[in-house]
Amino acid sequence: MIQVENLNFTYKKTRKKAIQEMSFDVKEGEVFGFLGPSGAGKTTTQRLIIGLLRNYHGKIEVLGKERNQWGKDYYEHIGVAFDFPNLYTKLTAKENLQLIGAYYKNECEDPDKLLERVGLLPEKDVRVENFSKGMKMRLNFVRSIMHNPRLMFFDEPTSGLDPMNAHIIKEIILEQKKANKTIFLTTHNMTVAEQLCDRVAFIVEGKIVVIGSPKDLMIEHGKRIVNVEFRMNGNNHAKNFDLQNLGENLEFMNILKSAEIKTIHSCEATLEDIFIKLTGRNLV
Amino acid sequence: MRLLHAVMADIRFQIKQGFYLVYVIITAMYLIIMSFLPDDILAVALPLVVFSDPSVLGLFFIGGIILMEKGQGVLMVLVVSPLRSWEYILSKVISLAIVSVLAAIAITYFSYYPTVNWWLLLVSSILTSGIFTLLGIMINAGCNTVNQYMLKTIPYMLLFILPCFALLGFPYSELFTIIPSVAALKLMLGSFHGILWYEATALAVYLLGINLLLLKFTVRVFENKIVYQD
Repeated sequence: MIQVENLNFTYKKTRKKAIQEMSFDVKEGEVFGFLGPSGAGKTTTQRLIIGLLRNYHGKIEVLGKERNQWGKDYYEHIGVAFDFPNLYTKLTAKENLQLIGAYYKNECEDPDKLLERVGLLPEKDVRVENFSKGMKMRLNFVRSIMHNPRLMFFDEPTSGLDPMNAHIIKEIILEQKKANKTIFLTTHNMTVAEQLCDRVAFIVEGKIVVIGSPKDLMIEHGKRIVNVEFRMNGNNHAKNFDLQNLGENLEFMNILKSAEIKTIHSCEATLEDIFIKLTGRNLV
Repeated sequence: MRLLHAVMADIRFQIKQGFYLVYVIITAMYLIIMSFLPDDILAVALPLVVFSDPSVLGLFFIGGIILMEKGQGVLMVLVVSPLRSWEYILSKVISLAIVSVLAAIAITYFSYYPTVNWWLLLVSSILTSGIFTLLGIMINAGCNTVNQYMLKTIPYMLLFILPCFALLGFPYSELFTIIPSVAALKLMLGSFHGILWYEATALAVYLLGINLLLLKFTVRVFENKIVYQD
């Protein structure tokens, strides 16, 4: 779906080398997470693939065609939700969807259905200027998928949302994946990446430092131990056991049989731990 | 079809943002002033007022409209939609030309000026509006604030509006006809005071050509400064 090879990009005005020798691919039906701190080059890469920056070196093939060979028809096939709401504030939620929807050849989804999906149906006739940031973000999000695009770009899709609404957005992203849509997700929220992404790429100073599935990375960089918290003889205890031949560890088996188990956890690394370990930087 | 939707969207945006209301108020003010003028002054003032509407006012209106679109972020959404740059720009030209024509007709009609060539008034209003709207989009492409826009507009105003006074008796006025705003005012004056048919045709064709050239150039500036932000 997306193939990037040896991509280099320098901003003309500042002469800042923003992307260096970047290579990765995104498969059809995949949720691909692009993770990194602010200023790492996430947005630049996304803007290059979307077509908002030009004069790059290297290859960016999207939907079977080099990016700079695409005309405006490209936008019939992709959907973009930026990390800040871009809406006509004097128009209502429904009018916003109808107005932008009219520019697409594809028949757009019923605005009422979309608004209902993100809990905005009761406010469909309310002017957007009266919306909270969370409501605007939800409207912004459904607008990006209303024309049934094959490839979607979401920049911090759950930013500014309460847990319930963030859950709805994550559910919709997974529904889109189920429908074999491809999703390019830019975020520095590791939990979102863990929950949604099939693969993630860590980016620092314009370079990709690692690509892999969150699960594989977490196991690879985690400790091969299990931590057990239990209560025995009226006292609380905590103990680590090696995962190797765990079933033959008599002490572990004994605790399972005779103690009151409080918690039991394998100790794979979090994506944040891995990021800090590989780059020496925090995800801010 | 997309262009039609874009024009309708622009009209809706302009109404909701209160631009039409401002137009109605300004037109009403003009009408009140015109009603107090004696006929000989009206003969000069009316064409100038009608001309100032698509030109000076148009230039400020398009500046305001695009700055509002930038402020609300919708320009970015339009850039990543199938709407072509030329469709976006032409829809602004058409929507503002509609308001200009309506205002020109209202001011002229209610000023009870005896001899008006309505067709010529229509053509000159549209062509003048087109030039100044395109100019406004071009100037605005590199601006983010009202102050920036105002400052950048001043040299263009001097270049386009000052020479128009040549038509009010300056001895070498014919030379200035090459300046599009002067040609436009000449056509506008012609619709009130009469003009030879071939002169009107030549002016209209010239202004149409300028509009097309400006459209092409504005699309390029828009793509460089707004779409790709080079």
